Amino acid sequence: MAAAGGLRRAGWRLWWARRAVLRCQQYPPLRALQASAALRAASDEHKKEPWASSSQQHFESPPAGHQPEEKPQGPHHSYTGQGGQESEDYESEEQLQHRILTAALEFVPEHGWTAEAIAEGAKTLGLSVAAAGLFHSDGSELILHFVSECNTKLSELLKKEQKLVQLGEAEKKPIDEFLRDAVEARLRMLIPYIEKWPQALSVLLLPRNIPSSLNLLTSMIDDIWHYAGDQSTDFNWYTRRAVLTAIYNTTELVMMQDSSPGLEDTWRFLENRVADAMTMSNTATQVQSTGEAVVQGLMGAAVTIKNLAGLNQRR
Amino acid sequence: MAALRLWRCGCRALLSRPAAAPRARRGLAAGPEMHFGFQTVTEEERREKIYQVFENVAKKYDVMNDSMTLGIHRVWKDILVHKMNPCPGTLLLDVAGGTGDIAFRFINYVRSVRQRQLQRKLKHHQNLSWQEIFESYQNDKFNNSLGDSQVVVCDINREMLKVGKQKAQHLGYSEGLSWVLGNAEELPFDDDKFDVYTIAFGIRNVTRIDLALQEAYRVLKPGGRFLCLEFSHVSNPLLSRLYDLYSFQVIPVLGEVIAGDWRSYQYLVESIRQFPPQEELKAMIEDAGFFKVDYENLNFGIVAIHSGFKL
Repeated sequence: MAAAGGLRRAGWRLWWARRAVLRCQQYPPLRALQASAALRAASDEHKKEPWASSSQQHFESPPAGHQPEEKPQGPHHSYTGQGGQESEDYESEEQLQHRILTAALEFVPEHGWTAEAIAEGAKTLGLSVAAAGLFHSDGSELILHFVSECNTKLSELLKKEQKLVQLGEAEKKPIDEFLRDAVEARLRMLIPYIEKWPQALSVLLLPRNIPSSLNLLTSMIDDIWHYAGDQSTDFNWYTRRAVLTAIYNTTELVMMQDSSPGLEDTWRFLENRVADAMTMSNTATQVQSTGEAVVQGLMGAAVTIKNLAGLNQRR
Repeated sequence: MAALRLWRCGCRALLSRPAAAPRARRGLAAGPEMHFGFQTVTEEERREKIYQVFENVAKKYDVMNDSMTLGIHRVWKDILVHKMNPCPGTLLLDVAGGTGDIAFRFINYVRSVRQRQLQRKLKHHQNLSWQEIFESYQNDKFNNSLGDSQVVVCDINREMLKVGKQKAQHLGYSEGLSWVLGNAEELPFDDDKFDVYTIAFGIRNVTRIDLALQEAYRVLKPGGRFLCLEFSHVSNPLLSRLYDLYSFQVIPVLGEVIAGDWRSYQYLVESIRQFPPQEELKAMIEDAGFFKVDYENLNFGIVAIHSGFKL
């Protein structure tokens, strides 16, 4: 009975693969990925050379006009052997969901972070509006997808900058400038959605969504510090992250209230906060070194007094 | 409790007696064995019997539903439509929806969503010129209040459809509603036609569930959703005892008193027990090709909503 079910499922998967191949002609680059993945899933010996090598080529040279959103998903295709059949199916389902959400972003300014936007997005992919039911109706998945997409974009941007610095084509920015630029770049990604962003923030703060939204926030802050060259392993690690998180979140709030042309006020606010943080850390180091000097002075005085009092004499 | 078990055994023995006669005859009649409640019958017999059951109960169907479930079936149906969350423009196929319960709820839901959208649109541009206001009124005339949503009610039973049509007339639903006589195992519709397929308290009475699921898959558009509301199995042993007590002792009596029909309601209760439990139905839906299949238990599993997508 189970075997029959398995057979039926395998047969169906083959059919799906064929359908994917047919669709290849419509969306060449994208479908090629899916088709190769699905075909590999259908053939049991997926580790054999021909498939692996041909699909490898696909990944390495994505043709022009390829959607940038697809890039980060590329590596998911190259799964590692075991349990391939199940996970492959799961992946393609996941990918479709990603595509729907990416398409839905276009409709967010009009419909907000809602199921309606997702439905419109699904429509552009030739799917039924009912596909919006794949996601939670409060739009949290759409928002989280957007946030993680922005984070990926940011870390790619920072990586590129780092590469330029390493090649010696650009000068290394001082830390305050680097932080300011990174936060500004990240916040600029919200501008197209600024009208609907308060709604998104409120959804992200729902208890159900807090773990994932916090996770995304911390990973973004981590990325920025990583590319800023932070290698601290002491208590500084925490203070730095806390300070940058505070800067990012307060600036985000200011940005939503900002009505100045070109969001000038926001960027000035950001610059001031980064400068504050820098002064704070300078002050902290100064206080620390002053403290050390004072302690040393006191110790010295104590020794002198001891000597004067004759307590230190050796007999 | 022991008394209950005794009673149930007796009841089963009683029921198996009339079933013995067809079993002897089945040597001649071809066809695989099926369940009709706790009886074993051939496919053809089952179809006929179920047709008769619903022919008999059609007139009293809604009253009986209310009295059997204390009105909770309305909440279950509301939850189903909420889960569907249809937006204007959705095409719904409601199979085995004879009396239109799901269809009317769907229409109400879409209408309110549509209204909210229009209000939001109006709020968006508040300072309109007279020209624009005039245009918006004209557009409203073209756009009906459902935003091109349609619901097709399909039922195999003529009597049930008749009751549904009367109800629609009585309640004043006309727009975007059509009634089709058809079998869930071979739907009279083209491929890739509908956005959502619902079957509420109906799949249990379909003789070949696998065929019905395949048909559901066929008529749905890619991305379309399959939703099934059906009585299921209560996992909590204590509640399950109580539930059995209620179903076998109270419901047939209610059927006799209100609808004058013990046998039909006896069948109803038995067919619930014969229906595959949540996980099994989920596997069947997956076998039909649906993706992301999951289910939600309502009232400890007395009913369950299964949902799947055609991707």
